[in-house]
Amino acid sequence: MNTMKMKNDYLLHKWLNNEATEEELEQLKADPEYASYAQIADASSDFEIPGMNAETNFEAISNKIKPVHQLQKPKIFSIVWKVAAVFALFLVGYYYTTTLDTTIITEIAQTETFSLPDASEVILNSGSKITYNKKNWNHDRELFLDGEAYFKVTKGNKFSVKTSEGIVTVLGTKFNVSARDGLFTVVCYEGLVSVAFNDTLLKLPAGEKVQIENGKSTINGAAENPQPVWLSKESNFDNVPFSLVLKEVERQYPIKISVKDVDTEKRFTGTFTHKNLDLALKSICEPLQLNYKINNNGVVTIETKHSK
Amino acid sequence: MKEPENICNEKTFNHLYESHGKPVWRFIYFKCGNEAQADDLVQEAFIKLWQNCAKVTKEKAKSFLYTVCNNAFLNEVAHRKVVLKHAKRQSEKANFQSPEFLMEEEQFREKLKNAIENLTEAQRTAFLLNRIEGKKYTEIAEMLNITVKAVEKRMSQALAALREEIGKV
Repeated sequence: MNTMKMKNDYLLHKWLNNEATEEELEQLKADPEYASYAQIADASSDFEIPGMNAETNFEAISNKIKPVHQLQKPKIFSIVWKVAAVFALFLVGYYYTTTLDTTIITEIAQTETFSLPDASEVILNSGSKITYNKKNWNHDRELFLDGEAYFKVTKGNKFSVKTSEGIVTVLGTKFNVSARDGLFTVVCYEGLVSVAFNDTLLKLPAGEKVQIENGKSTINGAAENPQPVWLSKESNFDNVPFSLVLKEVERQYPIKISVKDVDTEKRFTGTFTHKNLDLALKSICEPLQLNYKINNNGVVTIETKHSK
Repeated sequence: MKEPENICNEKTFNHLYESHGKPVWRFIYFKCGNEAQADDLVQEAFIKLWQNCAKVTKEKAKSFLYTVCNNAFLNEVAHRKVVLKHAKRQSEKANFQSPEFLMEEEQFREKLKNAIENLTEAQRTAFLLNRIEGKKYTEIAEMLNITVKAVEKRMSQALAALREEIGKV
């Protein structure tokens, strides 16, 4: 009986799977239990269920997908945007760096010779800074100087050297500008230089020198040398406060100067070399009756000779 | 050489909807017995398919749809009874039956309909997929993600339950 049931079960499922033969169906229906199963199964096949409204559902799906669709587009675009942004960044960076001001700085005991875009030559003295714009140079020959520099300017447009003490304007010449600590010195070696400071405009012909201290012209006379002495490794002073001389020594030698009982407002006229510290100190201290001592730690002490 | 075909283009997607939309809908309907819910689940399934279009190949799309529906359905707590309609086409044999027999037949159908509606969801889905959709056990097993043996069991249980229910009334 059990084996019979198992066999009928097998046949039932075979029939439900649409794989049974006519004979097998007959065999199945011989058992009243399975006959009723077959009847039930057969009748069940005739039922219908509602169908889906394909169009309205598709519309609903499309509507809900659309936002996703739109979200995906920016995704693709965002890659394009990213690439574009990187390019733009490079472009801006390139533009920025090329239009950026060029700055040349010299350290202590160092001079720098360089050419400007129009082949004008600049020699920058120690501890000085020049800023100019390469891109704009052909339009506007203008640079900012903090310190001292010697210029050999190629003939052309107006060439301006702006300093905190005043503005030197030329057309094409050789000249030296020093603007430091309230002392503004311009020496013209060739051509004609125009110097503007405060509300004064001064024309400086070749071989002339002007020294302006705190906005006032103190010297206006002949230049001593055919070119700046610092180019031959010397510093030259003409009636200048001693404090400025000491600062120049500190710029030319890697030392610090400390003074004891010395009136640094005393005037100094003279020269010192950049090649030998001992000699340089001697040449500035002797005329003012001062003693100096070079210590091992790079500090030079200067004191008045008579103080005991 | 050729990239594995994904379904991220509208043409393929529309084609998938045409071929699988209705069967999936009916599959869900067998489960939940609610047209609106079936609509929702079908929409949800196809939307998920689209969102995952890059990951699902054309071959995997069908089983993806059924799996999504299955899972979504299991998440829904309230199920309703399946509402069955009588087939519009009468079986040809019936035309030659006596009116009495037709009456009996009608009563029998009515009882059967109620009995089917009272089956458990698991039995009903398997039974109707086989009876109405004409699906083979292997196909049903694949759709429901169960074994063929389990389908057999559900079918047997369904038939036994129906027979008992009809005999009782």
